Amino acid sequence: MATLTVPNATATARPRVLRSRAAGKLLLLALLTAVLLPFLGRWGNGAWPHALTVDLTKPLTTASDWIIDNRDSHPLFLYFFGYVSDAVVLSVRAVYLTLLAAGWPGVTVFAALVAWRVAGVRLAAGTAVAFLACGVLGMWVPTMQTLALMVVAVLVSVVVGALLGLAGGLSERLDRALRPVLDTMQVLPAFAYLLPVVLVFGIGVPAAVLATVVYAAPPMARLTALGLRGADPEVLEAVESLGATRRQRLLTARIPLARKELLLGLNQTIMMALSMAVIASVIGAGGLGDRVYQALASVDVGAALAAGIPIVLLAVVLDRVTAAAGSGAEAADQRPRAIGWLYALAATVAVALAARLLTALDWPSGATVNIAEPVNRAVDWMTSHLYSGVPVIGGTADWAGHFTTWVLDPVRDGLQWLPWWSVLLVVAALAWLIGTWRTALTAVLAMAAIGVLGVWEPSLDTLSQVLAAVAVTLVLGFATGVAAARSDRVERVLRPVLDVFQTMPQFVYLIPVVALFGVGRAPAVAAAVVYALPAVVRITAQGLRQVDPAALESARSLGATGRQQLWQVQLPLARRSLLLAVNQGVVLVLAVVIIGGLVGGGALGYNAVFGLAQGDLATGLVAGAAIVCLGLMLDRVTQPTERRTRKGA
Amino acid sequence: MTLNVPNVPTRKPPTDAPVFSVDGLWKVFGPKSERVPADPELAALPAAELRTRTGCTAAVRDVSFDVRKGEVFVVMGLSGSGKSTLVRCLTRLIEPTAGTIAIDGEDVRAMDRARLRELRRHRAAMVFQHFGLLPHRTVLDNVAYGLEIQGVSRAERRERAAEVVAKVGLDGMEKRRPAQLSGGQRQRVGLARALAVDPEVLLFDEPFSALDPLIRRDMQEEVARLHSEEGRTMVFITHDLTEALKLGDRIALMRDGEVVQLGTPEEIVGSPADDYVREFVRDIPREQVMTARRAMRPAHAGESGHGPAVRPDATVAEAIEAVARAGAPARVMDEGKCLGVVDSDRLLGVVAGVDEAAVDPEPQEAANAPRREQVTETAPVSTTPEAV
Repeated sequence: MATLTVPNATATARPRVLRSRAAGKLLLLALLTAVLLPFLGRWGNGAWPHALTVDLTKPLTTASDWIIDNRDSHPLFLYFFGYVSDAVVLSVRAVYLTLLAAGWPGVTVFAALVAWRVAGVRLAAGTAVAFLACGVLGMWVPTMQTLALMVVAVLVSVVVGALLGLAGGLSERLDRALRPVLDTMQVLPAFAYLLPVVLVFGIGVPAAVLATVVYAAPPMARLTALGLRGADPEVLEAVESLGATRRQRLLTARIPLARKELLLGLNQTIMMALSMAVIASVIGAGGLGDRVYQALASVDVGAALAAGIPIVLLAVVLDRVTAAAGSGAEAADQRPRAIGWLYALAATVAVALAARLLTALDWPSGATVNIAEPVNRAVDWMTSHLYSGVPVIGGTADWAGHFTTWVLDPVRDGLQWLPWWSVLLVVAALAWLIGTWRTALTAVLAMAAIGVLGVWEPSLDTLSQVLAAVAVTLVLGFATGVAAARSDRVERVLRPVLDVFQTMPQFVYLIPVVALFGVGRAPAVAAAVVYALPAVVRITAQGLRQVDPAALESARSLGATGRQQLWQVQLPLARRSLLLAVNQGVVLVLAVVIIGGLVGGGALGYNAVFGLAQGDLATGLVAGAAIVCLGLMLDRVTQPTERRTRKGA
Repeated sequence: MTLNVPNVPTRKPPTDAPVFSVDGLWKVFGPKSERVPADPELAALPAAELRTRTGCTAAVRDVSFDVRKGEVFVVMGLSGSGKSTLVRCLTRLIEPTAGTIAIDGEDVRAMDRARLRELRRHRAAMVFQHFGLLPHRTVLDNVAYGLEIQGVSRAERRERAAEVVAKVGLDGMEKRRPAQLSGGQRQRVGLARALAVDPEVLLFDEPFSALDPLIRRDMQEEVARLHSEEGRTMVFITHDLTEALKLGDRIALMRDGEVVQLGTPEEIVGSPADDYVREFVRDIPREQVMTARRAMRPAHAGESGHGPAVRPDATVAEAIEAVARAGAPARVMDEGKCLGVVDSDRLLGVVAGVDEAAVDPEPQEAANAPRREQVTETAPVSTTPEAV
């Protein structure tokens, strides 16, 4: 298609088009295609040609078999991975036993005291209520399992991330080497990290912890480096002018000055660790995620919800408390110190001992509420009444069916019908128009790699779901974002909703969509839309609000209407934010569409889950690699030029 | 020098010996910057041409001066004139490209890291334009920071810091954080931090440019007060000529990295070295800067016995007031000796700037001929020996 339109355009408006850079790029691409087409066409014009694929199944299976055979004998495993694995298991076990020894009264009191210390009374009460709710829902033990895994994973992530960040913050060269790696790691779907870890460690707690560490450490590293680099140069100069040694400068100035970024890094690391600890149930993490996973597998929405609510509560509490620690860093000093750390610890021990004496360590079995059954009854009622046949509006299952038939299927079939080289061409054109030739090259190579891996068809299936979800997300997100930017009231209403939605782990979104739409591709898309929407709304609203007020004022003084202001001033000036919103939307949607494989989304996500579930690591690894490539491609295609140039500077 | 190898500071500098002695100092930014000062042809190039030819920017070009003990030495120039770079070169916060810097006769550029740290810790402390305070520390801990770096014990450094905090007028604010202070208060903390280490020289890098005019005046008075109380040597960077004239014992006026003129405020205002300086000082109220010494003429017979008395370093403005009140010429008295007399004609001449001809070696007869006649008539002898 591109080959047809471009010559046309040049014929009608030649001088002008030639002056435009965009058209120049397209023309060059068209030319390239025209030259290469006879050669490329040799391999056919349909899906990715078979001649160009490399079958990795066999070598991967061999490798995986070799690892399984040698896991107990090869020195590499005995003396390195073995120790790592043992250390992880031991520490998770230790934390878990400590939590159990403290009992529910001890843990609740300790959590509340910590929240009080760093974030004030209100959050302390919220924390206590959240923990008690976990007990009431009958989820105390799984909550503690998840918590134990998270504590270990977060500690390791923070140490690893802080060390990497320190290196990046102090050395220019290391920073330049690390940054693209960390940036890329941040856009990859969580699922992609599971398979390589499983390959080495097998399914179980060590793999889950390490996958979590790999997923959660990058934000800590990035923010540490950012904080160290962002220190006010005049303060550092003043410190140097007083004769500080390098070590003194680091300890007394650079690290304290980066406190805000460090705490933000801690916050993000904790949130990502929770998200991953839940997803890692697929590879044997146990705990809450496992309950959700099992329940979803048997479409038992009630049980899934009972395990999902504690996840959400945990997420909200952890986020609020750590965020308060970060933002309250300056304000905290005026507040009288509510309680010292030692007192908090002592109180915990006292409560735990008292509980032990009263033999009340385990959550009393009488004090649980079984919500699974009523929820399932409600879902059954919904299934019978709302799924289909509701007059005029139809039912939710009807919507899902229509969406699949009228949107997902055509997009998928269309993508799969396209000649393989034209997909590459479109990718190149988009990436080059929005970014630089470098991003375009990466995107094309990533897309081609998918073909070479032999998963062209399922990848395009996943891509079709991503495109549909992104389209819906952007329409809804931009509209809501514009509304929030233009009306303070809308923003006030939206803010708490967005806050909660942004803290929830991806996995949790699957529960309500399964309740509403059943299983299939449409629910996966719906979950992805819900997951990505808050970020898009927020970035859009922020971008519009940050438009230079002087520009808006001058437009108003010239008599522009509200609509004119929006279209002619705000939207063009917020272009960067809008592109960023698209980029974020795409990345987030992909993450959930992949997880959607658990609820019948099929395609790459299913391959990965299948590989894990059946021990067919070759299939899973290929799917994982394809997910990585897809993530890279989508990120690069939507990456605005400015981001790249800013990084270079 | 080779004889003094056991490097003990044997020679005790006399009071007029320079604290800082800067000679032929260059700072060039850019690739292979060392070649610029070394090559006389490159060194002579104007800034724009230097950049196109070599890609280098000369921030400081061949600057030489001495800072005497106990004086306030002001480096004044517009932004981009290289003055901030210059002051950073003194303690090698920016590494100079060429030239020599000596503090009390010791070569700063030859110092190793430990010695340099010693210099920064004990001998020269700096006050910064945007204060450079540590936001996470209280006022007291900020002031004590320099001592902490030196390894002074907690109790002692707090005690010493508390004294300095009181000295700069921040009593009762020890527990606050920089974010809770106004700009002027923050700069007092910056000043206190520098004073706390009891340095030999205080370096000020445009310390008051970020402050409101009224606060700025307060702070200038504070610095003047500290100087008169302690007599500490100060190097003061500013872009504000009024500030320079108010505080400086001597002023080095910089332009494009070079020192255009170096002299007392009176010399700068009274005898600008070139048109650039003249343009600069045009709007300065001369009566505030010029002294009675410059305006006086020899006493006629009988004048030295009566009439109001002014000191020779009194400003012309003060002399005008004395003359106006008495309705008669005033005597310029120094330690009971009458040096000369100022009358209204002489004073007006100084204010109008037409006395320049008396000291200005530039022949401007054609233009100023009629006025000069008048001046020479009333001023038969040049009375400003220092200005020449």
